Amino acid sequence: MEGESIIAIRDLTKYYKGSDIPAIDHISLEIFRNEIFGLLGPNGAGKTTTISILSGLFPPTGGEVTIDGLDIRHDHDRIKYIIGVVPQELALYPTLTGLENLQFFGNMYGLKGKELAKRIDESLGRFGLEKYARKKIAHYSGGMKRRINLIAGLLHKPKVLFLDEPTVGIDVQSRNVILEFLHELQETGTTIIYTSHYMEEAEKLCTRVAIIDTGKIIAIGNPKKLVEENPEFKNLETMFLQLTGKGLRD
Amino acid sequence: MFKFFAAFRKEWLILIRDPAGLIVLFLMPTVMVVVLSMMQEFGWSTVSKEPHIPVIFVNEDRDSLGVKFQHGLTETKLFDLILDLNGVPVTKETARQQVLEGSYQIAVVIPEHTTERLRKKIRFLVSQTMANLMMPDQQFQSANQPKDSIEVLIYFDPAVRNYFRNAFLSATKEFNARIESRMIFETFQEELRKLFPNFTMPITEYTQSVFFTEIFPSGVKEELLPSTTQHNVPSWAIFAMFFIVIPLTSSILKEREEGSLIRLMTIPVSYMTVFMAKVGVYLLVCFVQFMLMLLAGIYLLPLFNMPALEVGTHYFAIVTLVIMSSLAALGYGILIGTVSKTHQQAAAFGAVSIVILAAMGGLWVPVYLMGNVMRHIATFSPLNWAHAGFLDLFLRGSTFLDIIPELLKLFAFFAVTISAAAIYRTIKPPISS
Repeated sequence: MEGESIIAIRDLTKYYKGSDIPAIDHISLEIFRNEIFGLLGPNGAGKTTTISILSGLFPPTGGEVTIDGLDIRHDHDRIKYIIGVVPQELALYPTLTGLENLQFFGNMYGLKGKELAKRIDESLGRFGLEKYARKKIAHYSGGMKRRINLIAGLLHKPKVLFLDEPTVGIDVQSRNVILEFLHELQETGTTIIYTSHYMEEAEKLCTRVAIIDTGKIIAIGNPKKLVEENPEFKNLETMFLQLTGKGLRD
Repeated sequence: MFKFFAAFRKEWLILIRDPAGLIVLFLMPTVMVVVLSMMQEFGWSTVSKEPHIPVIFVNEDRDSLGVKFQHGLTETKLFDLILDLNGVPVTKETARQQVLEGSYQIAVVIPEHTTERLRKKIRFLVSQTMANLMMPDQQFQSANQPKDSIEVLIYFDPAVRNYFRNAFLSATKEFNARIESRMIFETFQEELRKLFPNFTMPITEYTQSVFFTEIFPSGVKEELLPSTTQHNVPSWAIFAMFFIVIPLTSSILKEREEGSLIRLMTIPVSYMTVFMAKVGVYLLVCFVQFMLMLLAGIYLLPLFNMPALEVGTHYFAIVTLVIMSSLAALGYGILIGTVSKTHQQAAAFGAVSIVILAAMGGLWVPVYLMGNVMRHIATFSPLNWAHAGFLDLFLRGSTFLDIIPELLKLFAFFAVTISAAAIYRTIKPPISS
């Protein structure tokens, strides 16, 4: 699947302070509009670092990145309007209700009034949370927290959505709702960049995946094609294990 | 502005969702102001008003000097003279023992024949003076000149506060001067009567000829008497208000720990908007806190037999000063919360630095009592600026215009600290990079 590029990464490098080992080592890739792009890799491979740089949390040490033609170093403020970020942590206020959290984050994107209320209602309905809108986040289950965490990053209808392990630690039902929704989102024209440890999930969901290890891309392509092109692997998971090794990662 | 109000609403909701925390936030500073003001009031009243410092008084003299001393000390109402212990008259030795044991802080012993010795000494001085007056060409050297010194013994507990000691010493010296001057007059009269039998000299009690009038330099006729409440309530209220740093830093660090700060960093909203929303909400808290503390000074302290706080009539100046002091405290809190990595760091540094700034700023020890270097350093403490402003308003009858320098300094401190926090946050993101 190739099309119009929305994210272009050239020679991206990141060294954390005090470390001489690169967290990202000269990565170059293009992500196309309307893709669900999976960044896969063991712990410490560089997935979250890549997403953090793309979403503007901190600058790269080297290389260039453009999102929808905007440079992340110079057009950071404009990029914030077109991206949505769903961090790995539950980035919500636990003492506020689900509704209050969504109203606040919607307001921060400049959304207000009926338009915001409509988007919140629709999203809560889609994720089966309308009954819990007025409950404090602290009282939500893990799955509910993940779902509302996702909604908070989507209210402003971003062109590009970054998801850092959005289905980690939740029940099968909640995971299913989230994955179905991501498919729907893709159909409406949103580009999704997503990290995960779940190979089966990535295989089903992603149009393309990149397997990263020690800050380098070691395989990239459509998951099904990658497996087909390498018949020695049964599926994406065996391929992943073969490429990244079976040793434990911390 | 819309984003500011949205963030303000969020901060407000988070604050009111913790009613226990809110009660602590309002109640503790008020309790602190009342308790500490009471403690200082009692400490101060022991030397200033009618405190009745217990003093063991042993009169072995049993003549006029001892009796007058006893009357004089009683009349001052500063001291409670203890003449016997459990019905047994106190002796020189028991007095010494009692002070040694720390049961009493001061004991005074007028030894036997003190009056007689003083009389002799004065008589010698007067007769010598008279002789010199009558025959100025002759030098009189009397062999009868009293050699022994007259000594009144005063025992002090080494732990006694200096101001107790000074108060007692100055009182005793003053009585001694009065008694001596009266004796000199009487002796002169006796000597003159030897020459002029009909001579009479109106000997009255020593009366003061020079009066000391206390005038406030501001020239305002109806000045407020500088009661301890006037000093203590503003001092402790400012000190308590700056402790807003602790809940404020906690709010900032919680936002970081809960991950919502990471989301905020990816949203088109500036750090300044986020900070200002916090400032807005906590400014309300500080304002209510301060008003509660003032109300406690006005209505609660009199219930404990303490003078009520008089706030004067410059309400606009007071409100502006409260706002500016609060802003200074909040700017400081935002900066500490932004720079600190953990709650422990923020709480420890925040609390200790406020204590240092308060001590430095003259909240506990007046700046004029400090050494030159400390006096200079005091001018850098925002607590000193706030304190100076309140003393001006509550004690010196100053107006809004008079406290403008303090207001400007407090606002500048707020502007510098909050800008430093925003710059720091921009340069150093809250996640490791």
